[in-house]
Amino acid sequence: MSNQKKRIFQIEAFQNRVVVDPKYAEKTWKILEHAIHEIYNHNASGLSFEELYRNAYNMVLHKFGEKLYSGLVTTMTAHLKEISKSIEAAQGNLFLEELNRKWNDHNKALQMIRDILMYMDRTYIPDTHKTPVHELGLNLWRDNIIHSGKIQSRLLSTLLELVHRERTGEVIDRGLMRNIVKMLMDLGSSVYQEDFEKPFLEVSAEFYRGESQKFIECYDCGDYLKKAEIRLNEEIERVTHYLDAKSEGKITNVVEKEMIANHMMRLVHMENSGLVNMLLNDKHGDLGRMYNLSRRVPNGLAMIRDVMTSHLRETGKQLVTDAESLKDPVEYVQRLLDEKEKYDGIISLAFSNDKTFQNALNSSFEYFINLNSRSPEFISLFVDDKLRKGLKGVSEEDVEIILDKVMMIFRYLQEKDVFEKYYKQHLAKRLLSGKTVSDDAERSLIVNLKTACGYQYTSKLEGMFTDMKTSQDTTQGFCSSHPELTDGPTLVVQVLTTGSWPTQPSITCHLPFEMSALCEKFRSYYLGTHTGRRLSWQTNMGTADIKAIFGKGQKHELNVSTYQMCVLMLFNNADRLCYKEIEQGTAIPASHLKRCLQSMACVKGKNVLRKEPMSKDIGEDDSFFVNEKFASKFYKVKVGTVVAQKESEPEKQETRQRVEEDRKPQIEAAIVRIMKSRKVLDHNNIIAEVTKQLQSRFLANPTEIKKRIESLIEREFLERDNSDRKMYRYLA
Amino acid sequence: MPPRASKRKSAPPNSSTVTSSDGRSVSSKAKTKGMEKIDRLFNSYANSSLGVIDPDGIEALCSDLGVDYTDVRILMLAWKLKAGKQGYFTQDEWRTGMKALGVDSLSKLKKALCELEIEVGKPTNYEDFYTYAFRYCLTEEKQKSLDIDSICELLNLVLGAQFRPQVDVLVEYLKVQSDYKVINLDQWINFLRFCQEISFPDLGNYDSALAWPLILDNFVEWMRQKHS
Repeated sequence: MSNQKKRIFQIEAFQNRVVVDPKYAEKTWKILEHAIHEIYNHNASGLSFEELYRNAYNMVLHKFGEKLYSGLVTTMTAHLKEISKSIEAAQGNLFLEELNRKWNDHNKALQMIRDILMYMDRTYIPDTHKTPVHELGLNLWRDNIIHSGKIQSRLLSTLLELVHRERTGEVIDRGLMRNIVKMLMDLGSSVYQEDFEKPFLEVSAEFYRGESQKFIECYDCGDYLKKAEIRLNEEIERVTHYLDAKSEGKITNVVEKEMIANHMMRLVHMENSGLVNMLLNDKHGDLGRMYNLSRRVPNGLAMIRDVMTSHLRETGKQLVTDAESLKDPVEYVQRLLDEKEKYDGIISLAFSNDKTFQNALNSSFEYFINLNSRSPEFISLFVDDKLRKGLKGVSEEDVEIILDKVMMIFRYLQEKDVFEKYYKQHLAKRLLSGKTVSDDAERSLIVNLKTACGYQYTSKLEGMFTDMKTSQDTTQGFCSSHPELTDGPTLVVQVLTTGSWPTQPSITCHLPFEMSALCEKFRSYYLGTHTGRRLSWQTNMGTADIKAIFGKGQKHELNVSTYQMCVLMLFNNADRLCYKEIEQGTAIPASHLKRCLQSMACVKGKNVLRKEPMSKDIGEDDSFFVNEKFASKFYKVKVGTVVAQKESEPEKQETRQRVEEDRKPQIEAAIVRIMKSRKVLDHNNIIAEVTKQLQSRFLANPTEIKKRIESLIEREFLERDNSDRKMYRYLA
Repeated sequence: MPPRASKRKSAPPNSSTVTSSDGRSVSSKAKTKGMEKIDRLFNSYANSSLGVIDPDGIEALCSDLGVDYTDVRILMLAWKLKAGKQGYFTQDEWRTGMKALGVDSLSKLKKALCELEIEVGKPTNYEDFYTYAFRYCLTEEKQKSLDIDSICELLNLVLGAQFRPQVDVLVEYLKVQSDYKVINLDQWINFLRFCQEISFPDLGNYDSALAWPLILDNFVEWMRQKHS
């Protein structure tokens, strides 16, 4: 190794110090400042994007970002102040236009500036947490233009003025509005809200408050609602055209509150045009409008529903207590059906099948139908009328429709067991007199009842139909096995099973000889094939067809009841009979006999008998003759009186009593059933359970239930619990 | 109490004897001696042909005891004896009763009667006594209810001392109403509960939605109407 000096690397400083031109930043800035000026003066075409970008880039690179940024702020602010002056100077309508134009310019300028200063935007600004260029531009616009003293309030009042003009029917420049509003939105939602939306809503509220006040004084309910609806739609349209979508809910709330909610009470109850009037006159359009508008308002629907309910209950109550309609059961029920149809129509057409309204309808009907305890009887009479003659010639589908409607009313009845009792009576009369229009309709109704109330309800009714059919076969069998009787009177027998048919006291009378012999023959025939049964003739329920020849030789065939036949046959052996003789000869009970004689002697067109004296009532001393002068256009004359009628007071009491008696075992059965499964149960729960179980037949009275419980305790089916007074225990 | 014929029989009493080694029971000897006195007392009132104390005998017993034969204490005695038939005491009943009272002479019986009143008054016994009183009056087999007049008398006798105001009004009502011609055991028991639980005469805590018998619901309604 030679003696070499150790080499140490040394870095020497530049011989010449590199000096950054101190004026460099200033010079560069000036270039950029000039560019900004040009941009704002619409002279941007002469600029070189690349050069400007490079300059900005260099400034930031050489740590002059601060200068650049603050220069930007200053320059832009200065320009905006100029712009502000020019906007302020604009007159009248040109104000908004000028504002809009300058805004567009500003945006274009901002974009170019942002592009030029992009490097700063991406490096210096994030590092120093300063506002980015674009946003800065918006903020400066906001602060210097929008919030400038001379512009801020003028802008707001101009916008509101335009809205007001549009509301009063003028056409405004919606495009311009949209742009201005969009500008506010771009400046930030707080600007939009504070500088426009809030005042807008306040002014609108005032406007609508005033308008609604005016309208309510001069328009009736229907017209007012039309106006309200129009205004509502206008506002919605306004929003879509030139406001922020988020404003829709707010402005509609204002309209709803001022025009609808505040006046709801007054509108609904307006005399001669309010809700009640609309309901009465089936004004579906108005009702629909009211429904839709009320839906928008808190508790609006509830109010309408309540008014409808109380009106319906009131109307219904009048219907069922109106003395006129009570005279005619068919009319009574028809009016109920009409009312139901009316409201069904309203709810489906105007209230868009709203379930809550449907429920209100149902509860109202249930309420007033049961106010009248004769409703079950009347409904049965209505059905009876229809099945006798009302449905003659009606198509099968229409029959179904009518019966369905009746079933709907039937379901509202609380005392379905009362209905059953009457229905049975009326059905019996129909079947026995052969007066039913359509067998299919009868059957169809039974099926409907079965669906509504269960099998047990209709099993007896079906039994009645079976008896009729079987009787036909029996009668045929009797006739064919006794061919020798074909010359004499024809006997048609209906054999009724006692349990299925309504209970009647068995009253017999003295039949004419020809008939009694025949009846005996039938009895032996029947008992021959059915040993162990007992037959008893129900002479109060039969009918007869007899041929009669009167004084001038006029021949008629008379259709009469069995009783009437017995009376008339007596006159084959006597010209004149007094009441007592008739009574003795026929052994018909007095009340029936009097009715029977009345129907033959006192009714015009059916007076086959003559009575002395000619009074309307039957006295015990009256005498009777055949009416030789009897005349009728028809050969066949019907004199019978077996039609189902509305019951008289005493009959009604009797039926009601029987129903009450029938209910007792049903209640007891229910109690026993429940206690058997629960073993121990407290008083209130028993009452609730029993009521629920019996609901499909009738409304059980808690006092009655208590009575039954006590009876069961006495008969040792139940006992009270020793420790807890309220509990009952089942005794096996 | 008015004597009535009854076919109800009381259960025979349970007796047990202890025999000592010498073949003769010591306690039974003592028992026999005690029983002798009791039997003697029994026989002094019994109808010799029937072998039971009949209504006449009871009347005699009452006058010897210095109580009216309609006095409630006689009813209490019957309760203690668990007498089955109204107006009659059988020998077994007598024996059981006297032993339970620890009595074998008339004078002792007199004293015991007063104590008996206290014993019956105890809550645990009172309800039992009250129920017994009703059953004691059922003379026919299968009879389940008593007519209104008897009930009123019985109410006075049994509840009169403790619940005078309630009894007075209740008796008045029972005589006036026409819904019920007889009262059954269930209703009877609830009369007592009514007196015990319901504040009177305001009836503030009466709730007709509860399981009170209907007759009491009607009674309360009647009372309220009277006072309004």
